[in-house]
Amino acid sequence: MLTLPEIGLYFSFLLFLVGLAGVMFRKNILFMMVSVEILLNAANLAFVSASKITGTIDGQVVMFFVMAVAACEAAVGLALIIALYRTKASIEADDLKALRG
Amino acid sequence: MEGTVGVVTQFLDSNIGLVAALGKIALALVIALQVAPIMVWVERRQAAFIQRRIGPNRVGLFGFKLFGLGQPLADTIKLLFKEDFVPKQANKFFYILAPIVTAVIGLVAIQGIPLAKEIVVGGHTINMQPVNLNAGFLYLFAMSALGVYGVALAGWSSNNKYALLGGLRASAQMISYEIAMGLALLPMVFIYGTLDLQTMIAAQSDSLLFGVLPNWGIFLSPISFVIFVITMFAETNRLPFDLAEGEAELVAGFLVEYGSMRWSLFFLGEYAMMFTLSALTTCVFLGGYEIPWLSQTELVALLTPIFSAEPATWVASLIGLTVLLAKTAIFMFLFVQARFTLPRFRYDQLMRVGWVYLLPLALVNVVVLALIVGIMRLT
Amino acid sequence: MDLNFIAFVVMGLAATILSGVMITRRWPVSAAMVLIAVMTLLAGMFGLLEAHFAAAAQIIVYAGAIMVVFVFVMMLLNLPPEELRYGGVTWGEMVLISLGVLVAIVLGTQVGQGLLTQGLESMGYAPGQTPAHAKSLYFAADENVKNVAATMFVDYLWAFELVSFLILAAVIGSIVIAKKRSAENANAA
Repeated sequence: MLTLPEIGLYFSFLLFLVGLAGVMFRKNILFMMVSVEILLNAANLAFVSASKITGTIDGQVVMFFVMAVAACEAAVGLALIIALYRTKASIEADDLKALRG
Repeated sequence: MEGTVGVVTQFLDSNIGLVAALGKIALALVIALQVAPIMVWVERRQAAFIQRRIGPNRVGLFGFKLFGLGQPLADTIKLLFKEDFVPKQANKFFYILAPIVTAVIGLVAIQGIPLAKEIVVGGHTINMQPVNLNAGFLYLFAMSALGVYGVALAGWSSNNKYALLGGLRASAQMISYEIAMGLALLPMVFIYGTLDLQTMIAAQSDSLLFGVLPNWGIFLSPISFVIFVITMFAETNRLPFDLAEGEAELVAGFLVEYGSMRWSLFFLGEYAMMFTLSALTTCVFLGGYEIPWLSQTELVALLTPIFSAEPATWVASLIGLTVLLAKTAIFMFLFVQARFTLPRFRYDQLMRVGWVYLLPLALVNVVVLALIVGIMRLT
Repeated sequence: MDLNFIAFVVMGLAATILSGVMITRRWPVSAAMVLIAVMTLLAGMFGLLEAHFAAAAQIIVYAGAIMVVFVFVMMLLNLPPEELRYGGVTWGEMVLISLGVLVAIVLGTQVGQGLLTQGLESMGYAPGQTPAHAKSLYFAADENVKNVAATMFVDYLWAFELVSFLILAAVIGSIVIAKKRSAENANAA
């Protein structure tokens, strides 16, 4: 019989896989960013589960830092997306190959 | 017959936690659902009063006029029988979902309010806060933060330019004012040393300045109170911050494609959220269900000779609930009064108020109070 | 069966399935809404793991702030629904993914669990028990918020300060990126 945090680790693994698939298979940058959020959430779930398994709070604190990094990523990433959309009128990853020789 | 009563009593005794939880949730739901119709009536009557009109005073109940208190009932019946209409260009799923999100979040948020201190039933002490998490009022914050999605979804799914602009404005506005709101409450957290509303209210039952003033948050941190009340208006999309609706420039903003019961669900959610935030203000700044200079514990001790020990807690809780509702009503009155007194902000003014005035003021307030509290703790 | 257990498993399954639904949406806003549902479910799971502060922060920060910005940008750009085109993943990447999945499965099975427990025990942790060095710092087990605060502002103070600088940098960076464009547009218009 598995305990709750152990199941949480498994779910975090599944969520991470789904998020990874999203990042790899979607070509729209917005979708890729949203999938990255799923990846970070899966990591958060793993941290909180681990904090429960070890009986310490450190995992929850690290989760808080992950959240702060996610906020930074969203702010800068979305500003970049808006800037890109204004110059290219597209946010498809395939259309952004101006730097390719 | 005796057997049935016995079984019921036994069931209640063994499942007191579950029954109490359901009872508390039901009580909060009843209050939340009653807020909308009563506030509609209050709003119309008060508007009429301010504008020197009579307002709805005809529709009565059972042949009595009752100052037109039957009006909300008539309105509800009218709205229920209107055609349920989904615009052709709308995204049907999210169009239907948006008002439900608003209403459900309003009804869920109110569960975080402590309605009274505690009651004792059959030897079990029941905390009268329906949702009692260790994270305390952060629960209310979380629900208030989710509230923006109803508006944003409505704006987007209507597939209408006015609605989209309304939704955009609402999301930018709420996210801006949430920061000031959180910073306004932060000093209260470290003054009382807790996030739990029940503990906060208990701390406010003391008196201040040798018993002259009750130990309310409003006297400990008046700037927090002012900022919180202002941001409360912005978070609930009420005038002077109702840029998302803005009849004058956006027709009705995110509500433009809505009608009948869906439209009124938005109002149910909005009024429930107004009530929840007003009750939160009451709990943090005005002592919640505590009567000034007479704490609940003293009240129970006072009532115990009149009633017996257990009913005394019930009566005290009932008095507490009445006090809470009365204090909350002050803010609800303020909401309506502001709506018909103040003009709407322009959008750049709204953003300037949020980011240039409220946010720095709240930050300075936090730093100053943190220093004061820190020095007082050291000595 | 424990009610918490069932709730946890149901929430986890729902979160996984919904995130699968999310990555196959055509409308960005639909995807964002599904993701908010996933985050709310995760917050519920954190609550069941007795991480109340994490649960509240998950909803306030993720669902209430980060996703609002996402939705705002999606509504601002008002993109048409995207045509779904799968593919573009090379065989090399596939092999790497499969390797990663394999490692994760190994770590997830009893072997990995044994290693994890052993590693924890060698560091002085026993599953489900507060380690000795932490005990002095911690408040009662149900005082989750106080425990988080104590750990964050004692053990992780420097990390906390660094993260605050990171946020400041991100704020300034995003303003610079967005502002330059809007000024040019204003001149053009």
